[in-house]
Amino acid sequence: MAHLTDGTLRRMVDDPDAKAGADAAHLDGCAECQARFKTISDDASSIATLLAVPEARVDVGRAFETVMRVPKAQPALGLRLPFLPPRTRPLTLAFVAAVAAAALVVVAFAAGGFFFQPTTVKTVPITVADIQALSQLADYGTVTWTKEPQLQATTSAADAAAIAGGMQPPVVAQLPAGVSTTVTYGGMSEAQATFTFSAAKAAAAAAAKGQTPPTLPAEMDGATLTITVGPAVGEIYGNMNKPTTGSSTDQINLPQLIIAKSASPKVTSTQVTAQQLEDYILAQPGISDQLKNAIKAIGDPSTTLLIPVPIEYATSTPVNVQGVEGVALGDNTGVGSGVVWVKNGSVYVVAGSIKQSDAIDIANNLK
Amino acid sequence: MGINLGARHMTAARTDDDAFQALFTAEYGRVVGIANRVLADPHEAEDVAQEVFIDFHRLHSASADYAPAWLHRAAAHSSLNRLRGARRRQKREFAQAIEEGERTLDPQKQLEMDEDRRRVREALGRMAPKPAAVLVLRAGGLSYAEVAQALGVGISQIGTLLRRAEDTLRKEVTRGTPN
Repeated sequence: MAHLTDGTLRRMVDDPDAKAGADAAHLDGCAECQARFKTISDDASSIATLLAVPEARVDVGRAFETVMRVPKAQPALGLRLPFLPPRTRPLTLAFVAAVAAAALVVVAFAAGGFFFQPTTVKTVPITVADIQALSQLADYGTVTWTKEPQLQATTSAADAAAIAGGMQPPVVAQLPAGVSTTVTYGGMSEAQATFTFSAAKAAAAAAAKGQTPPTLPAEMDGATLTITVGPAVGEIYGNMNKPTTGSSTDQINLPQLIIAKSASPKVTSTQVTAQQLEDYILAQPGISDQLKNAIKAIGDPSTTLLIPVPIEYATSTPVNVQGVEGVALGDNTGVGSGVVWVKNGSVYVVAGSIKQSDAIDIANNLK
Repeated sequence: MGINLGARHMTAARTDDDAFQALFTAEYGRVVGIANRVLADPHEAEDVAQEVFIDFHRLHSASADYAPAWLHRAAAHSSLNRLRGARRRQKREFAQAIEEGERTLDPQKQLEMDEDRRRVREALGRMAPKPAAVLVLRAGGLSYAEVAQALGVGISQIGTLLRRAEDTLRKEVTRGTPN
């Protein structure tokens, strides 16, 4: 019999039951493996000592109350591409910040022609630090809704289409096994927000932090970016949760599978060029080299929708969906995946707690 | 944690909040424990744990099968991220702690303990995310099966990953030791 692997020996240190059978018999009769076992066992206990810390005493009840005081999630329709930093929550929360970053990166690439409409998708790896740096952009101007989004969950596709100005929810050819057939539809009207750069705000923000911000190019003062998203429609398979507080029906959690279609976001701008915006964003203190490189690597900013992917949590791969280039996102834990693509002026998303192959399959068969 | 589909519309919100509370009660201590292994600071560990739960609650169902694995993984990565980001600040704080340590009953011992703890955390921060996560999850009291689920790898790999990570950490700590 071959010698035992390090992994097997390591497991034997922790698990007395693993010391049974052929492996145990080998160990008993093999001086070499016994010596390795001793080394591995010694290492394991010295590492355990090194990592030992005084136990944290927690008050679970109080902690739960603290957590529940944080406002509940906003609708998780998947195609709500919010570019407004949330007002009520700390930006350190990775997801919220990621969404804000998505918008800001989109904003960053408002193209040279002062007009931007993506026709393909690319992913950008991000870290939480990157996002926090990007969120500072909100200190350099004012964001206002010029057209507030109306988002509503409905029980029929027709109702959703009515809210979304006639856009029909895509139809799934076949659901993968295990996905609930309970479906809820959702619709969102077209929404528009305007971001106005302000040199005065930028100076004040920097002064407050005791930092020196990158110089705001003169023509950027008063420049505006107008971002239009939607209309959008989608359907959500699985159990829906409505919040206990508040009477609005537009808050949805817990998607098992989300299918969504949205008109491609459009960005128009005045006074500034994409290059100026890009330079300005890249000059923010605290942006990692990783993000810089990723942003620079994106080929054609005027036609590319960037999707930020948190480095620690997900991977992405290019895929061909319905004859166009898309991006497949897969959580490394294997518990969730999604596909995003742009076709005929619409952004499509298929995502959920399903296998990536299922997500791609659904995407390809979407009608 | 089955949910009655028929009564869904009336009870879904309640059911999920209840499920979340049950999940919180069951896992909060362990999530703090994982973060505390990394940060060696109970208060900061609780901060991380609460952020992790808030993130989870925002995006996922508390009755999802993957809930504990998601929480454990997020606890390890968030606290390791914080450790890396805060390394410089921590150096200062540890230096302060050492000064305070000198005023305790057994100054020499206290000093050594603080110094060890600082060195180990620095070494953890230098390691790649996955091996570092294996170490802190296991040290945080997770079983091999739970570590495997949290990291999305086969349980048969845990022994090997753990052994390699321990070897790496031992070398990193030695490397960080001043002669």
